[in-house]
Amino acid sequence: MTHVYLDKLTKVYPGANEAAVSDFSLDIPDGELVAFLGPSGCGKTTTLKMIAGLIRPTRGRITFDGEDVIAIPAEKRGAVMVFQNYLLFPYMSVGDNVGFGLKMRGVDKRTIRQKVQEMLELVKLPDISDRRPNQLSGGQQQRVALARALITEPRVLLLDEPLSNLDAHLRDEMRELIVSIQRQLKVTTVFVTHDQEEAVLLADKIALMFEGVLQQFASPDEFYQRPISERAARFFGGVNFIDANRNGNKVETSVGNFVFNAKNSDNAPEGDSVLTIRPEQIAIGHDVPNGENVVTGRVRSRIYVGTYTRYKIAIDDCEIEAIRSADLPGEINEGDEINVHFPSDRIWFVPRNSN
Amino acid sequence: MATTQNLERTTSMQDAPVITEAKSPLAGVLRYAAIGLILLFLLLPLLTFLINAFAFRWFYPQFFPKELSLQAWDNIFAPNFKVGEALWNSTLIAVVVTWVSIIIGIPAARALGMYKFRYKRVVEFFILAPIIVPGISISLGLNINFIRWGLSGTIPGVMLVHLIPVMPYVVLTLSGVFANYNADFEDQARTLGAGPIATFRYVTFPAIFPGIMVASLFAFLVSWSQYILTFLIGGGQVITMPVLLFSTVPGGRNPNIAALSLVFIGPAILILILTSRFLSGKSAIGGFGQI
Amino acid sequence: MTFWERWRIPIMLAPTMAIVIILFGGALYYGFLQSLGWQPRIGNTELSLDAYNNILFAGPQTEQFWRGLVLTLWVSFASTFLSAVLAIGSALLLRQTFVGKRVATFLFQFNLPIPHVVAAIGILFLFSQSGLISRGLAQIGVIGAPNQFPIVVRDSLGIGIILSFVWKEAPFLGVIVLAVLQSLGEDYEDLARSLGANRWQRFRYVILPLILPGLLSGSVIVFAFTFGSFEVPAILGVRFPRMLSVTTDRFFRDPDLNSRTEGMAISMIIAVIVLVLVFVYQWLSRRAIRQE
Repeated sequence: MTHVYLDKLTKVYPGANEAAVSDFSLDIPDGELVAFLGPSGCGKTTTLKMIAGLIRPTRGRITFDGEDVIAIPAEKRGAVMVFQNYLLFPYMSVGDNVGFGLKMRGVDKRTIRQKVQEMLELVKLPDISDRRPNQLSGGQQQRVALARALITEPRVLLLDEPLSNLDAHLRDEMRELIVSIQRQLKVTTVFVTHDQEEAVLLADKIALMFEGVLQQFASPDEFYQRPISERAARFFGGVNFIDANRNGNKVETSVGNFVFNAKNSDNAPEGDSVLTIRPEQIAIGHDVPNGENVVTGRVRSRIYVGTYTRYKIAIDDCEIEAIRSADLPGEINEGDEINVHFPSDRIWFVPRNSN
Repeated sequence: MATTQNLERTTSMQDAPVITEAKSPLAGVLRYAAIGLILLFLLLPLLTFLINAFAFRWFYPQFFPKELSLQAWDNIFAPNFKVGEALWNSTLIAVVVTWVSIIIGIPAARALGMYKFRYKRVVEFFILAPIIVPGISISLGLNINFIRWGLSGTIPGVMLVHLIPVMPYVVLTLSGVFANYNADFEDQARTLGAGPIATFRYVTFPAIFPGIMVASLFAFLVSWSQYILTFLIGGGQVITMPVLLFSTVPGGRNPNIAALSLVFIGPAILILILTSRFLSGKSAIGGFGQI
Repeated sequence: MTFWERWRIPIMLAPTMAIVIILFGGALYYGFLQSLGWQPRIGNTELSLDAYNNILFAGPQTEQFWRGLVLTLWVSFASTFLSAVLAIGSALLLRQTFVGKRVATFLFQFNLPIPHVVAAIGILFLFSQSGLISRGLAQIGVIGAPNQFPIVVRDSLGIGIILSFVWKEAPFLGVIVLAVLQSLGEDYEDLARSLGANRWQRFRYVILPLILPGLLSGSVIVFAFTFGSFEVPAILGVRFPRMLSVTTDRFFRDPDLNSRTEGMAISMIIAVIVLVLVFVYQWLSRRAIRQE
């Protein structure tokens, strides 16, 4: 249980013009599970390695429970990293791999053996201590790597892309395991991912990074309901962006005038801005009654995707996307003129040209 | 409570401590000193060739000779020294051995690199055995057969024996290439109308070309520097560069030996530089063990 | 199964296997027969172990053989070990980033294509009593005359021979180790650091086991080569003791055809010793790696 604080962390690699990470500040409370999310090359792994002590920051401070750890070398820092490709030592048995950290600390063999068994049980692989890493499946290797990290009772657990090398069916299993172990041990955990779905599934809070700069640090649903920029919204699957002018709860757009009364509306930009709404939150259909925030549009195309249908709808010069559950009654066909409802508590605003 | 922090790029950094990248300067000095010592050990012997080859009356305590001359070069290029013949023989033998070893090595390497078959380990063992068994152990047994076949003392005979140490490295290098080769490209070419020859010419050959260059480099160098097999099979009648150099060492004058050595290593270094861009990764280095 | 499918692999292997079996295997076979006294050209087709007996136990060359065997083992073990140590050190130095790394790496690999004959001559020029180092020491007044410089080439301990082999093989093994280190990257070490391993522990428990397979197979090549190598000990060796390959060559060149039988016996012994040692070494190192 460690409170991790990053203060204006900056990394400029030798010979590089741009900083890989710029003035990255973040407050990670005790025992929280935080994701660093961003496209590849956004500096998230660099930040992770700076916390681990494997990369020295150019500027900035890292504290664990208020103690500055910059000068503490990685091997003594207690921030253990689990690498993306697991990196089990191929020349050691599974048990020796898990016990590695304790061996480095000079712990006696009996204690090591006992702790190894505990850890393997924790990751639900109690009987594989004598096997070789190359005899394990990817999911098993990932668990062994996790056990190897946890055996040292780290102050901070750092995971690099923990689910990205796993098949879809293993991801769920692994996700549940990580979350349950994390809840059980209450170890402050940071993981890095380029996949917003992975971040949403695992994290208490997500730090979104673009080009080495922190964009938004918030809980997963914030990113869906209240993204900070068009780019952040697009990263989370947002597709509808309509130029707007907001004045309090009055909104003018090219497709019509709307009323806005979302929660936490203070953070939404006023004046010239961009209205955004998620496709699944738009209500469409012949049966949608006329009224506030309802406009008419024409169905351009529809794609049936099994549990739902995705529609492209033209409203004046604007095209929006909406999703409708396949269970709902009433058929909507290409070319139909239908009502489109933008719920006043679901629309949101991001700055114009903000990128 | 607003959970969303709007974090703009802030430029104030006065309150953040500055950490420098520099490691301890002593470590840097020690590293350069260690690298310097190693390189000195590796390069000084080469320097002695340059000094000796151009030295004239290089009396003892002098570190560098006071007088330089091209006398040694005149000596070794005099007709009775046979440098021309040795260079020609060495080049002819190395080039032919390289070509032959590549042509017969490609199918074997493909079989070993791409297919599983019975007794594969046994075949590998036999092909690699000449790396382990020294040339001196096979030279006399070879000689008996070569005398019988009339190949002893002939250039074709020498070429043939050079294949023994060359083949393991050629097959080893090329089978590594074939192990990472995707034969689906060949099937793709066939379905697009390419015959077997066109498929090899336009698909297989370009894919394995870098490996062929590396294998050729090793084949050439192993043949070029081969002394004992050449001498015992050539029976003193086939003069190559290593045979000539080796016979000059006892009783020869240092400047002549040095100049001859430089003539000998020049083409080897040239060939390495020409093919060096194909050398990468650990699979590509094995051949240097036996030069 | 068509003809081609059935015979494809044997046909592909045939030319190379022909070289190996007819030339290499045939040479070993006839060499072995000859070591048993089989010389049809002088009418001797009876087989006996006399030559082995003369060499190993009761002949004028017995002492030369045993002393030669000790020297050969010493030279090849020492050369292999020193080359491996120097190779690991060099590779660890060269993989770091520093100004001049490209030049240093290029120079480090420069003598890879240089033949062993030339290596021996270079060591002779450098380390002989009137060689470059002796001259350098004389220049700064450490020694006054060539004979004050220690005899390190053409010495009975084979130091000059070992120096030549290390000069040739350390870069060879070094490049292998460097390639392994570069292909591994630094992730394993970073991981070990984050699990608490200090600098020495990272070398002992991470780097060494990871480079060991490549280093060991390279060392086998080096050992086998140095054990049977002829040129270097012929140039840098002394008359007694002689390395086994040089003794063999002396027998071969003897005008008395009977001595060829003994030469062949030694060369068979060389082959057997190398093969046995290589097998034992491989077996031990595999086991050691498994136990790590």
